Amino acid sequence: MFPDKNDTIVQVLEKRGVTRRDFLKLSVMLAGTLGLKYSSVGKVVRALETKSRVPVIWLEFQDCAGCTESITRSQNPTLTQLLLNDIALDYHETLMVAAGHQAESAKEAAMEKYKGEYVLVVEGSLPLANPGYCTVAGKAPIDELQKVAADAAAIIAVGNCATFGGLPKAKPNPTDAYGVMDVLTDYTVINLPGCPAIPEVMTNTIAYFLVEGSAPELDALNRPKMFYAQTLHDRCLRRGFYDAGLYAKSFNDEGYRKGYCLYKLGCKGPTTYNACASLKWNQGTSWPVQSGHPCLGCSQPNFWDGGGFYEGQGAILQKPGLAALGGAALAGIVVGGGLSVANSREKERAKHTLEQSPSDEEKEE
Amino acid sequence: MNWVPLMEFVRGPLFYFAILFFIAGMAYRLVNVLALGWKKDYVPAKHNKLGGSIVAFLKGVIVWPFIPRISQTATRNPIIYFAGGLFHLGLFVTVLLGAAHILVWKSLLGFGWPSLPLPIIDWLAAIAIISLIVLFINRISNPVLKLLTRVPDYFNLLFVFMPMVTGFFLTHRLFLSYEAMFTIHVLFVDLLLIWIPLSRISHFMFYFYSKARYGAAFAQRGARP
Repeated sequence: MFPDKNDTIVQVLEKRGVTRRDFLKLSVMLAGTLGLKYSSVGKVVRALETKSRVPVIWLEFQDCAGCTESITRSQNPTLTQLLLNDIALDYHETLMVAAGHQAESAKEAAMEKYKGEYVLVVEGSLPLANPGYCTVAGKAPIDELQKVAADAAAIIAVGNCATFGGLPKAKPNPTDAYGVMDVLTDYTVINLPGCPAIPEVMTNTIAYFLVEGSAPELDALNRPKMFYAQTLHDRCLRRGFYDAGLYAKSFNDEGYRKGYCLYKLGCKGPTTYNACASLKWNQGTSWPVQSGHPCLGCSQPNFWDGGGFYEGQGAILQKPGLAALGGAALAGIVVGGGLSVANSREKERAKHTLEQSPSDEEKEE
Repeated sequence: MNWVPLMEFVRGPLFYFAILFFIAGMAYRLVNVLALGWKKDYVPAKHNKLGGSIVAFLKGVIVWPFIPRISQTATRNPIIYFAGGLFHLGLFVTVLLGAAHILVWKSLLGFGWPSLPLPIIDWLAAIAIISLIVLFINRISNPVLKLLTRVPDYFNLLFVFMPMVTGFFLTHRLFLSYEAMFTIHVLFVDLLLIWIPLSRISHFMFYFYSKARYGAAFAQRGARP
């Protein structure tokens, strides 16, 4: 199942029949997608020539396998093939042929063989309420994750579920779901949020680890800055219409047909950090806002509970009903009226006692 | 820093509390003022009191503030008149006609209305912010005004200034990330809602009330409101 552990990537590729010319093309492309300078191509070539494959163990917990679907549709077929077949993916619960005990022993074997070298990719959130929600082969998900993470060279959480809890964490969160970084607090987890994560973001992060031997620069939420530094709004092709105040107001009005800004239809672009606007989806074909749908903010924490998809970021999450508003007004009126009545009674009483009470002269008598 | 939990808090529970506090507080204030006294009216009214109220109301709200030569404030205290006027104009146009604010209104009321283009809103917001700074400088430099000013009056300025300036930074992506500035912006709006019933910013309600009362009193005496 595994090629020779000591083979470098170049050797693996040569065995696959990849020519030197194609290898150099791949190296340039890789350097480009990683945002490296042209002068760094040599570094990529050297890394691929000297380093052996990066084994990946891909675990799935409370997920929909959407991120797996996503990575298999990466824009760059050569790179994907490279990752799927040659560099990585020694264990993947959805993509492998093996099942049952066979699968479990494959995982054990990969962990043993590449101890301290493999990259752990996690898809899906972890249930803390009851391990029974996501038990595989009789093992609690948390225990299994901690066991695999202990010997990993790097841990990458892909998709919104693995990073921030995603759909399973949405209210009322029946499984008490958490993302990987909330569970593995002792490790640096590289977060690649999205629903699903952009395939190139996943492949390129693994490739970056391969070339540099370390995690890319991360932001406050542990997201690689090279993909998540800017909001969609900053890179949006409809941005000019936003600045000019030209908005589509419904999905069928003139503004919509003219391609105006989707902000008023609830676009979460201004608060969403992702690379959709620059990398796009489906081999660079399009992305949601380009195709005419407002951004849902799927790469942001708790996006399911962040208000309606068509309401916008400013929408109030907890709206008081008429009963609550009326109750508040009534409370104000009752307290204000009560105090006023009490005050006027106090005034009357004071007036009364002033009239009734004997004067100081009378007292002396 | 992950701003999302705080952002959800200020858009959710804190706003909920703030709006209910605002409603209850304003109802309390209004009842308190109304209960100050309604003495029996022994003098026959010379003009229609309701008419007087309406005329005073219209003049005070629509006509008067926009005619500098007639309004005495304009000649006696031009700084208050122009800075105060531009501040109110900029604030209300921004809050009522800015695209982002209309989305908030829409989420609360269920319906929206057309917005003004961002550059216009932007200039009006800048004018409102500068006007507020001018009013602040006037307050600390004018000896009479300084004598009348107490600590809560500075809080009034602060609680209005903060949402305005954070909103301006937000649209221009200054200093902090969008969601951080957005969170601070909404936080200060919530604080402002809580502060209004406790402070003289409640004048937004009493202004209309006193205009109507004065109009009625003028009409009763036969004066032109």
